[in-house]
Amino acid sequence: MPLANYDWGLIWDYRSDLLNGLLTALEVAVVALVLSLVCGMLLALLRMRAAPFSWIAAIYINVFRGIPALVTVIWVYFGVALAIDVKFSVFQAGVIALTLLYSAFLAEIFRSALEAIPKGQQEAGLALGMKPARVFFSVTLPQATKIAIPNVGNMFIGMVKDTSVFTVIGLLEVVRVTQNVVATTFQPFVLYTAAAALYVAVAFAIDFLFRLIERTMEAPPDGLLSRAVRGRRQRRIQALIDAETASPSASA
Amino acid sequence: MRATPTVPRTSDHPDSATPSQAAPVVELRQLRKSFGDLEVLKGIDLAVRPGEHVVLFGPSGSGKSTVLRSINLLEPPTSGSLRFDGVEYGPGIPGEPQAAERGRPIDLRRNIGMVFQQFNLFPHLTALENVALPLRSVRGCKRPQAEHQAAEALRRVGLLERAAHYPRQLSGGQQQRVAIARALALDPQVMLFDEPTSALDPELVGGVLATMRELAETGMTMLIVTHELGFAREIGDLNVFMEDGQVVETGDREIYAGPTNPRTSAFLSAVL
Repeated sequence: MPLANYDWGLIWDYRSDLLNGLLTALEVAVVALVLSLVCGMLLALLRMRAAPFSWIAAIYINVFRGIPALVTVIWVYFGVALAIDVKFSVFQAGVIALTLLYSAFLAEIFRSALEAIPKGQQEAGLALGMKPARVFFSVTLPQATKIAIPNVGNMFIGMVKDTSVFTVIGLLEVVRVTQNVVATTFQPFVLYTAAAALYVAVAFAIDFLFRLIERTMEAPPDGLLSRAVRGRRQRRIQALIDAETASPSASA
Repeated sequence: MRATPTVPRTSDHPDSATPSQAAPVVELRQLRKSFGDLEVLKGIDLAVRPGEHVVLFGPSGSGKSTVLRSINLLEPPTSGSLRFDGVEYGPGIPGEPQAAERGRPIDLRRNIGMVFQQFNLFPHLTALENVALPLRSVRGCKRPQAEHQAAEALRRVGLLERAAHYPRQLSGGQQQRVAIARALALDPQVMLFDEPTSALDPELVGGVLATMRELAETGMTMLIVTHELGFAREIGDLNVFMEDGQVVETGDREIYAGPTNPRTSAFLSAVL
């Protein structure tokens, strides 16, 4: 078929359908990301505990890393729903499937990030008399988060792409919308190219976003963004130093 | 203790008679620690009196650092007695009746400051925030109060103008002084120094030792693991030579000039 027979204008004609599909995909992925971050962190902490706990986490991680997304969502939507007699919406089923899968991957990312923090950091916190939970949230977690951010971005891109298999349960995401449009227009090349382009655009955007987040966590601040984010704090500290320098030793 | 120390004391620090009469603030009895099959502390006895400056020295692997780390329970002892300020924190001595009450590690640590070989500043926080964080979480200070106290602590170690810097922007010596300020800000009864100058470039050692010397002159009770024997000779009221998980010899400053144990003299002649 010569190139002229491809009607690229169709992409524009169906733009709102395609973008709505993308929006649905992103909604599922974002909700699942938030849930997976929490579940993944809990799994990572469990994985780092003593024997019986770490086994539970290890088994979970290895099971759900091994199941394809397609199988998981069918299992949730048709299998689990039947077994426990709950009717999930397709949106819910998608979120549950992604969360089950990506908690496992994120658990491993968090575990390696937490283990990358030198033991001396935790010891310093404990030696100062801080409670273990406080040491975790104020010392270990902020440093581990910065290490984990790029990998979390990768996982998020994967989650958005994996929403495409939810077409099988009828979620109106990008692929499902594309299938529907193709059924009436018979232009698969044009429309699937558009679908692919949407995924690529989202991947670029996510990569950019996570780079920005990573940059804001630079210490010392490096670049415009981290300076803008941390600037207020540093100015406050500098003002404090100036005030303290001006009033030589109130306590001495 | 000898009445004429080799290095004259410049301060009004209570002289050697006072600490030796007071009740020990830290007391170890038959303290043992094993890692698996390896016994690294083979029954340590040590009493530290208020205001005393104790130096632990000896070859690497002799257990000096483990003694320090046992005192704030970063390494919980396998057996033996660890008393701090009259409260028992150790697992107990085999054959002796168990202590009726045992203190919580967090209460022990809140009264003991520790300075590490690798500084262990929190790299994601400025110098000021490093000092202010424990003030907020341990002392429950509100942020303005914590930051004011943190600034005062940094002033004491001469680093107030560096308060907004991150650890990576400071030299090793400055980082260690911030670490000292961070521990001091909590107003501990005892300070532990675990080879505080071993990770420093030679030209930066002097600044850290000067800060420690000033602290010693305020009468702070200090336990110091160090290879800086010149400094040890200068401030050590009680000097403990350790080898192979045991205390071989203790003494005043004369131990460096005239050790009585042949193992001590062998070590000293090798390093001096």
